[in-house]
Amino acid sequence: MALYHNQPMAHAQEPTAAPIEHRFNPYSDNGGSILAIAGTDFSVIAGDTRQSEGYNIQTRYARKVWQLTDKAVLATNGFAADGNNFVKRVKQRLEWYEHAHHKPMGLKSIARMIQTMLYGKRFFPYYVYNILGGIEEDGSGAVYSFDPVGSYEREACRAAGAAQSLIQPFLDNQIYFKNQQPEPGSQPFIPGNLPLATVLSLVVDSFTSATERHIEVGDGMEIYIVMARDRTTDDLLGEGKLQKGMEIEELGTLGEGQGERTFLVRQALKRD
Amino acid sequence: MNSVLTQLQPSAPHQNRLEEQDELDRTDAASWGSMAGFGNLDRTGGVQGMSIPRVSDPTSFLDMHTDNMSSNPDAKIKIAHGTTTLAFKFQGGVIVAVDSRATAGSYVASGTVKKVIEINKFLLGTMAGGAADCQYWETYLGMQCRLYELRNKERISVAAASKILSNIVYQYKGMGLSMGTMVCGWDKTGPCIFYVDSDGQRLKGDLFSVGSGSTFAYGVLDQGYRWDLTDEEAQELGRRSIIAAGHRDAYSGNTCNLYHVKENGWDFIGNYDVNELWYEYEGKKKAERESQNAAAAAGASPMAVEP
Amino acid sequence: MECAFGITGKDYVLLCSDMAAGRSIIRMKSDENKIKALGPHLAMAYGGEPGDTNNFAEYVERNMRLYHIRNHYPLLPASASAWIRRTLAESIRSRNPYAVNLLLAGYDTTTSKPHLYWIDYLGTKAVVPYAAHGMGVYVSLSTMDKWWFNDMNKREGVEVLKKCIDEVQKRITVHFNFNCILIDKDGIHNINIDSQDPLAELESESKAASGDIVVDAPNSPLDVGVTA
Repeated sequence: MALYHNQPMAHAQEPTAAPIEHRFNPYSDNGGSILAIAGTDFSVIAGDTRQSEGYNIQTRYARKVWQLTDKAVLATNGFAADGNNFVKRVKQRLEWYEHAHHKPMGLKSIARMIQTMLYGKRFFPYYVYNILGGIEEDGSGAVYSFDPVGSYEREACRAAGAAQSLIQPFLDNQIYFKNQQPEPGSQPFIPGNLPLATVLSLVVDSFTSATERHIEVGDGMEIYIVMARDRTTDDLLGEGKLQKGMEIEELGTLGEGQGERTFLVRQALKRD
Repeated sequence: MNSVLTQLQPSAPHQNRLEEQDELDRTDAASWGSMAGFGNLDRTGGVQGMSIPRVSDPTSFLDMHTDNMSSNPDAKIKIAHGTTTLAFKFQGGVIVAVDSRATAGSYVASGTVKKVIEINKFLLGTMAGGAADCQYWETYLGMQCRLYELRNKERISVAAASKILSNIVYQYKGMGLSMGTMVCGWDKTGPCIFYVDSDGQRLKGDLFSVGSGSTFAYGVLDQGYRWDLTDEEAQELGRRSIIAAGHRDAYSGNTCNLYHVKENGWDFIGNYDVNELWYEYEGKKKAERESQNAAAAAGASPMAVEP
Repeated sequence: MECAFGITGKDYVLLCSDMAAGRSIIRMKSDENKIKALGPHLAMAYGGEPGDTNNFAEYVERNMRLYHIRNHYPLLPASASAWIRRTLAESIRSRNPYAVNLLLAGYDTTTSKPHLYWIDYLGTKAVVPYAAHGMGVYVSLSTMDKWWFNDMNKREGVEVLKKCIDEVQKRITVHFNFNCILIDKDGIHNINIDSQDPLAELESESKAASGDIVVDAPNSPLDVGVTA
């Protein structure tokens, strides 16, 4: 029967011939933080650029956020080497898929693929926390968050990494309106449809605050904004919409282009 | 004859050379096509290429680096944990109720976890232990159940589905999988619940609760359980038990998801905030007590029963 | 936390096991059948590591069935015990051994003798007239030492078993429900050990069928006392 076609554990049954073996430790923690927020027709995925090991800053610019397709952006956090390798493998699988099917993989399929890729290393995990953001088939903004071995969930927002416990409560309060009471007589809060400008300033505030209170966060940040097709870009590119010190660039389409647009906003963070 | 024993014996050393290659090399051309979605399945649908560290004892390696077995809470890789789930059979079908909290150490990693996995229209699986283990293998189970349907032109029984799952996790016994799940559904034999865990244990029963909060859920569930509960009573019992566990067990809480399995498949009944419901129940309890006291004070004997 | 007994008599053997199943301190079930019929005149009571127990029992069950199908006669108790012991002995020397203890009870139809084997997960086998596994070892072995004697009839055997169970209920803090079978020349019979007269049903049955001894067809289904 198919189930037993391959004995999955066959190679686990016999020990590697290794007489001396002092604690094999292939893992490190490179700090930093990532977050993603979904809007109705856009998705924002951001990360800082500091890479450290303990108190030692290895580099002030290491990417943690990656454009995968025209409508998908992946942020990785945890052990940088694993993260980079994982992104490389994901990109390769996406390319294969495109060759086989002549279309880019959809967001929810990428999410499922990431699950199976992470779970494939269930017994030798990637020490990586992934957050996938982008535009769903129906044009809505989406965020998927993963644990290192592949359990995942679609959410409206998620923070991960060193400053997760600093940022997530802030996001819960501002995005899910947790522990907030609407003023008597006013409209009730409806989570999940904040304007882009509000979301952007929440992202910036999250990272500037995390930089203040967490030693592993800082140097710079990269914010990817994925917009659904036919969506106005005035609220991003319009006069005076960007905060001081922000640089913006539009990332060209990777495939044939179905109208989704991805922008990259960079801003400096404190470097101390 | 003894397939189990063949597996227990070490494979020939020359076969081992193949395994040493990077897992990328092992991905065959099948993964270019439609199989590309489910990463580590080969053409036959079998699971291939689970990579394992090249150390003498892979289990202790995993143990050292993850908090999977709760023996190593300081490990870097935190895997979501802590749960209350329950399911019971009664006259009107099966009630499945779960909480929605995932914790990594003392941090609440998520309060919106879907711990009921919808395997198909007639089968539900619950999630306790490793979130990824449950999610992944129950999704895989869903695929196997669909294949069974296509091959046999009839739906799989709950007993058979649960046995597929328990056979899978039993193969990995001792490798560090962690799952305690209830496979619930309705088949030719009527409503059915099987408890399956990563030890390889598989039990058929009328009423189960699994997870760190299960003891508290049992406390309410056992006392209120009868076979002839009405649908509303049964749903309320399931909900109330999860609320009780969410209140007492710090690793459980946030919200309660409630499902009801009937002859024509399962229904999602609702999502309830544990905290809000707890105060609602407390309020009701207090109000009832006050009205009793008022009745007593009105001159009736304390034992009087209302007409 | 488990408990099993086996007692041989003149022309029969009794097998009895608790029915608890669960995880750590929680009892999730109190009606789990932990006795498996392995043939028309062969059964085992098993316990040990959760998961291993059922898997091993089913493995044995199917191999016994296979032997029966291939040879048109079942493996006799002595041979079955040797095969099971060897399987466990090989298992304990493998990478992930079965941790299963069991009592194997059978009736040898060729010699008309009851057989009982005490087997543990290490591959130890003992031929015994009466035996216990689990909690029963601590309190009931002495009970059997005192009350058991050679060539007991069925009533006498059941009395000894009742004494053992009574002792467990009295002295062991956990509460057990018990499941009991009797194997004689006619095959495997379920026995309600909690009833006033556990043998009443069995005796009325055999009275009705007296005269014509039922001989099982070679490949008769083994559905006696099998878990659903």
